[in-house]
Amino acid sequence: MSLLLASFGFGLVAAAVLAIATVGFTLQFAVTDVLNLAFGAVMIVGAYVAYWINQAGITVWVGLLAAAVVGAVLSFVLNAIVYAPFQRHHASPIAVVIVALGLTLIIEFGLQSYVGGTSVSYTMSQGHTLQAGGLQLTVVQLVILALALASMVAVHVLLAYTRLGKAMRATAANRSLARTCGIRSGRVVTVTWLLSGALCGLAGTVFGMNAGSFNATSADLFLILILAAAFLGGPGKAYGAMIGALVIGLATEISAAYITSSYKDVVAFVILFAMLAWRPTGLLGTRS
Amino acid sequence: MGAALLVEGLSAGYDTRPVVHEVSIAAEPGEIVSVVGPNGSGKSTLLGALIGTVEVLGGRVALDSQDITGWAPEDVVRAGVGYVPQVDDVFAPLTVRENLEMGGYLLPAREVQPRIDYVASVFPQLAGMLGRRAGRISGGERKMLAMARAMMLQPRLFVLDEPTANLAPAVANELLEEHVRGLAADGATALIVEQRARAVLAISDRTYVLAGGTLRMSGTPAELLSSRQFVASFLGGSASAAESRPDERP
Repeated sequence: MSLLLASFGFGLVAAAVLAIATVGFTLQFAVTDVLNLAFGAVMIVGAYVAYWINQAGITVWVGLLAAAVVGAVLSFVLNAIVYAPFQRHHASPIAVVIVALGLTLIIEFGLQSYVGGTSVSYTMSQGHTLQAGGLQLTVVQLVILALALASMVAVHVLLAYTRLGKAMRATAANRSLARTCGIRSGRVVTVTWLLSGALCGLAGTVFGMNAGSFNATSADLFLILILAAAFLGGPGKAYGAMIGALVIGLATEISAAYITSSYKDVVAFVILFAMLAWRPTGLLGTRS
Repeated sequence: MGAALLVEGLSAGYDTRPVVHEVSIAAEPGEIVSVVGPNGSGKSTLLGALIGTVEVLGGRVALDSQDITGWAPEDVVRAGVGYVPQVDDVFAPLTVRENLEMGGYLLPAREVQPRIDYVASVFPQLAGMLGRRAGRISGGERKMLAMARAMMLQPRLFVLDEPTANLAPAVANELLEEHVRGLAADGATALIVEQRARAVLAISDRTYVLAGGTLRMSGTPAELLSSRQFVASFLGGSASAAESRPDERP
């Protein structure tokens, strides 16, 4: 029982990190129509920005904010100079995916050539360990949970209650119709790159905190989990992404405790395959 | 007050290949003007060119003398044009209320709710389903929502692309007879593309016949119904011919 509770705690934190990343990723995909597989690479750039600030003697929590800003700016730039021109030339979705994979390599290996191949860690205290029953969480883990919760609430409020958020949902649902309502979809797409990029930078830093150490290519496998959570919830569905992240996060950590950690990512995909066989559109997806 | 629409020698298409060729149509303020023709005749392409979703390759579009040729859709709507597409006419994942809010996207925030109340009074069926997802309402209700969404900004010109497509005859008739007529009664101009030629003739002030991307005939409904060529080609030859002849073109 204590093993289950302990792994449940790890799973919650993993789900929290995954949720921040997956909501950003799926929001970006829904509104911009770009399956940005360079998302993981941008995450790791964010993680390094926080690391460099941390190395300068500043708390990593300030670095986390800087990572969000850099994630937003980098995502905006990637769209402006790479994705948008390809979309203007009516590149096929698969061509854009290949471009995104190329960007991933450019960013990750460009970063690696600068920072080297060794892993780095933030200089930070994990804080006290708090226990409730068999559940054990450090203060940092609790802060990550709180950050994820705050991010999810903020995304919910944005999408459900604001004019911008509704315009984002309308653009995601039917960009052509949105334009005939007077919505400047180009601006909505730009804001979406900025917001999802901020979530990406945030996710990169909390990923680094949770993993303990990271290097330039650490997010490659994590991107696979993001894809699993996004497609489990329904591609392009922000609320689906939250549910998908929770399922994948808990399943991977609990299975690691009971089977072996080597297979935890495999478990994520077994769940995804089973889900897609039962409901190909994902949990909250709808048939087009 | 409705707007005057003037389309002169408009050619439009995709990837520089024209689908409609040098089409000229006109609508006076408050008129219902229809465009009829068989499938693939270029009717929807023509409307797309007017509202900015299809590339204009030549000619001119003016709304109350303002040249709006080739304007982007978001600017065309600001000029006073409301558009109801044939398909994908609502935001399916959004609620009925949110669809209407998107229709009123350009309104000041304080004016949105009163306008929703107004369009819900025009379409009472919608009033009871404001919280439902648009993707889960019936085809007729969707079309009414699409019309209501377009009405949110009180456009001077409504552009309606086959609004009765896939609707049951009774619902289609209600939509044309009650709601499209209602737009004109409120002073708006309506440009409507329809395959139900007989039904749309009954509400039109003027009708244009498009085939193969070119304008073949135009005239008042009475004039067209008096044309044996029109009746034989577009009404299955079942209308009685009258004496007058419409403006027929080769």
